[in-house]
This record gives sequence, structure tokens and C-alpha cells, in this order.
Amino acid sequence: MNALKRNNVRVIGDGKRAMVLAHGFGCDQNMWRFVAPEFENEFQVVLFDHVGAGGSDLSAYDKTKYSTLHGYADDLVEIGAALGLKDAVFVGHSVSAMIGVLASIKAPDLFGRLVLVGPSARYIDDGDYKGGFSEKQIAELLEFLEDNHMGWSAAMAPSIMGNPDRPELGEELTNSFCRTDPEIAKAFARVTFTSDNRSDLSKVTVPTLILQCSQDIIASEEVGKFVRDRIPGSEIVFLEATGHCPNLSAPTEVVTAIRAYV
Amino acid sequence: MSEPGSDEYRELFEHAPCGYLTIGPDGRITKVNATLAKWTGFAPDQFIGQRLHQFLNMAGRIYYETHIAPLLWMQGSFNEFALDFETAAGERLPTIANAAERRDTDGGVQFTALVFIKAADRRLYERQLVDSRSELRVSLANERQTAELREQFIAVLGHDLRNPLAAISAGARILQRSGNLQNEKELRVLDMINSTVTRMSDLIDNILDFARGRLGGGITLHRAIRPLEPVLEQVVDELRTASPQRVIQTRFEIADPVNCDHTRIGQLASNLIGNALTHGARDMPVRVGAKTNGNEFEFWVANAGEPIPDSAMEKLFEPFFRGDVRASRQGLGLGLHIASQIAQAHGGRIDVTSSPEETRFAFSMPLAQADERIGKP
Repeated sequence: MNALKRNNVRVIGDGKRAMVLAHGFGCDQNMWRFVAPEFENEFQVVLFDHVGAGGSDLSAYDKTKYSTLHGYADDLVEIGAALGLKDAVFVGHSVSAMIGVLASIKAPDLFGRLVLVGPSARYIDDGDYKGGFSEKQIAELLEFLEDNHMGWSAAMAPSIMGNPDRPELGEELTNSFCRTDPEIAKAFARVTFTSDNRSDLSKVTVPTLILQCSQDIIASEEVGKFVRDRIPGSEIVFLEATGHCPNLSAPTEVVTAIRAYV
Repeated sequence: MSEPGSDEYRELFEHAPCGYLTIGPDGRITKVNATLAKWTGFAPDQFIGQRLHQFLNMAGRIYYETHIAPLLWMQGSFNEFALDFETAAGERLPTIANAAERRDTDGGVQFTALVFIKAADRRLYERQLVDSRSELRVSLANERQTAELREQFIAVLGHDLRNPLAAISAGARILQRSGNLQNEKELRVLDMINSTVTRMSDLIDNILDFARGRLGGGITLHRAIRPLEPVLEQVVDELRTASPQRVIQTRFEIADPVNCDHTRIGQLASNLIGNALTHGARDMPVRVGAKTNGNEFEFWVANAGEPIPDSAMEKLFEPFFRGDVRASRQGLGLGLHIASQIAQAHGGRIDVTSSPEETRFAFSMPLAQADERIGKP
């Protein structure tokens, strides 16, 4: 299996150092469209889609492998190996923050810096730990995803399930970014929102920056501080940007913060 | 028409049969119409300055943050998404929504407008579709699994049946060679054993082929160009041995080389002749012929006896089809089916004519090689 093809890897820019940008749940590498060009001159910017999202190879989707974040982290390590990456900067949004953490534990030489945008080590409350969601709410989310993929599955599935002969099928669709296979999206949602990586944080040996948005209902400030407290020597920067996607809503602020750190 | 801002426009905005809401660049709600306020049970001013997600259920909030907001940033609009409000009374209000950003000339977002259509029935209907589709998937998967198991079972059964048969056949051969069997009755028993072994062996071959075909392999050919006549002679000899009381007349005129799978054509011949022996008049000969005519290889089997009824004609080549015969001669109904599969795999066909005078199965295939593998699209 060719990792570069499987994950629809794109490399732009010709800097010496590599910067890997990893998208989170709900989108694909398009998520970085306002950020990636800013680093083109200094970095070799690596963009990719997790299997099941965007232009990834859907046939590579393996239920068992991707039933935990480790499957996604293994892919990331393989992409790094295929490109011969060492000491790269990793920028992971949302759930990809933890995927990057796992990958850096698996392959300590791969990344020299981690930038975690809106990370959460666990989304579901657990005793004193406040992840922000109850188990019941996550169950509702999984069901709700079907409601929203309802309209998509018929129209989109054929075009994304591999219909290269008829690209126009995809063109007609209004929601042209961040396509995901509905079944895989649901499974990814389950893996994301039921993950618990709290015990992995202390194993990180790489300098780490956390970018924390204000009023992010997916990853609250409390959750961000928890990650900061557990990753040895990590720093946190509080962004003015609100919501969960500062890389889209406030790219300049994100770019400035990353540049200052790396 | 009235001017925008007039009472008529205001009326249209406030009391349209859909909910309207606008969000400022800071993500806070700037306007809401009376319809949405009424549906949700909140006063309009309870919306102003708040964030949309505060009025959604948790699933809607996560979905909005992870899907809708990013898409709005990237493409400026997003249509036909499901969103659930949580009303003041704590009830769920299912809607279908469209959203579009309005940007100024510098590309900055002025506001985002959202429209909501109440969609309780529609969402319920869609939910039922999703449910029934997943039920179908489960039952389809079960069916497939059952079918696979059944076919594996048939394949294993076919294999296991061969072994005892080989032992019986070897025993009969030893008896025959020993020359110890002299009286007519004993020799008849030996004939019967041979005949039964041949028939049984053909049945097992057919079962295996059928199971294999259904398992997705189709009939695979190993074509070669070598004399075909000896193969056909051997098939006829075996059947003569198996049915010593019957007469089989042959006429082979194979002038051109035939590029075919010899074992398979032998099996086809055996199945067709076996069929004629089973269904044909017992006191009349079965006539078998083969020839090439430059373009085609033809092989035919003819017998006398009752013609095939019209009603049976269509189903002759279907698996498990069995005509009216004595129970003792009944097979599985796979012989003709497999013969037709072999014919197809060779790019050929089997034609049937049946009248009170003669019933004839005629196989023909092109001499120029066509496809290697048929039976599976």
C-alpha cells in the first residue's frame, strides 16, 4: 500500500524543513487552504487526507485498523517514512492533535515540534475530568450524523466511492469541500469522540505548542489546559479567534502563533 | 411593489413560513424573525447577541462547529443540512437549513444568513429510510453468508464423495481383471457397479462444477490443440460399459484442429449422451456425431422417444431442472446446466430440437478462439 496515494498526500513549497498539516474530524486538507500558502516559502508543506476523507483511497478503509486513533497515527508515521521526514513540524487540528501525539510517541524522530490546534485528550466527562460531553450526547451525535448524511449518501457516494470516469457528478454538488464517506464519517466520529489519550500525553518528548481558541465548544479552555499540564514542557497560546476552526476563521492569528514557535 | 424596509417587507421577513436568522462577523446573532421565535418559544431579544449553538441540541452544536462553520468559511454557503433546535420547552425542533454568507467587497464577512424549514415529517421519513436501508444491509449480509456456507458445504461434500467411489471403482476393476467372475449374473452385477460408479462420478463432477461456478470462479478453461476424437471415443466407451444393453452409434469427422478444453468437452459430451440415455427410448440407438466445417466445431446427440414438452423447453438448462423420469434414473438436474456453461465458456451454444421422431442436442462453437473465461461477467 502506497501511503502517499492512500492518504492523497500533497507537498507544496520547497523549504528545507517539513511542516505536516493534519485535518480533523469533519473536513479534509482543504481545512488548511488559508494557512498552507503562508508557509510555502520557508517549509516543505505536507498536506494529506485521513483515510475516508477528501481524496483518500476509500478502499484502504479497514474497520479494525481505524477503530482507534492508532490506525490513523500509523498512517501518519508511514507518510513520514515515505517522504523521509525527520524533525518536521507537525500541526494537527482537532482530533489530529492527538493523532500527531500518538505518531510522535511511535516515531520520536519524525517530528521536532508539535502544534496542537484545539486539542482534547478526551471529549467525554469522566469523574473530575470535564471533557465537555456526556456519553448520551455523543450517542445522539452519532445518530444525528446519519440525518445529515442522508441527503448526501445517494448523491455523493457514487462520486466519492470512486467514479473517476464521471467527475462531473461531483461538480454538480453544492458542498464540494470536506467530503467524507457517510459510513466512515460515522465511524471516525465514534473513534474521535470516544477516544481517551490522557495517559499518552506524558509520553510526549517533543516541544509542544497548544493553540487554544476562545469559546470553543468542542475543545474548551479547560481541556486545552489539561493537555498543557500533562505534556512535559508544553506551552499554550490563547487565541482571540472563537469557535473550533481558527485555521479558517482566523488564519493570520494561527499563522503568526505557529511562526513564533517554530 | 413596496420599497425594502417598508411594512410589507418587514411583514414578509417576520412572518414568512420559515425561520430567518442572521449572524454577525463575531458569530453572534443579530436578527431573528418572529416565525423562528414562535417555533422555538424564545422571545426575539433572547436570541440577539447569543451564539446559534446555544439554541441547538448537542449533536447539532458539534455538527455546526465541525462541518457547517468550516464549509461556510470555505465556500460561503451550505445547503440542505439538518439541524435540531432545542425549544424553550426543551423539545426537539427538527429543521432543514440553508446558509449563505454575505461578504463586503474586501472579502470580509458582513453577516451569515440562515433559513430554517420545519421538517419533522420529512426528517422522520428520512430516518425511516436510513433504518430500512441498514436492515436490508444486515439481511443481505446474512443471506450472502448463508449462501457461501451452503456452497462451501456442497464443495466439501463433492470432494468427500469421490473417495469412497474411487475405492468401489478400484475394487470392481480388481474383480474384473482377476477373471474369477464367470457366471452371467455375477458379470451383470459387475456391469451394474461400473455403470453406477460412472453415473455417480458424473454427478459429483457436476456438483463440484456447479458449486465452484456459484462460488464465483466460473468455469475456467485450459485450452489446447490436440486430437479431440480419442476423448469423445473414450467418453462413449465408458457410457457403453456403463449401459451395456444400450446402443450408441457414433460418427466422428473432425477435420480441423479444435482449440478447446478437452476435458470439458468430454464432460459436455458425457452429460449430453447421459441425458439421451436417461430420457431416450430404451430400444432405440442413441446417435452421436461430431464434425468441423471450417468455421465451427459441431457435436450432436440424438435419441428417439417422447419429445420434450414445450413447457420444459425453456427450463432445460436451468440448474436442478429434472424432467419426468423413473426415480432410479433421476439425477440432480445439473448435467445440462453444466453442459451449457461449458458451451458458453467456449463461446458456443447448445441448440435443442425435439419432435416425436427425434430429440437432438447440438453443440456448436467457433474454431477461432473467443474469450477464455465466461460464466462470470
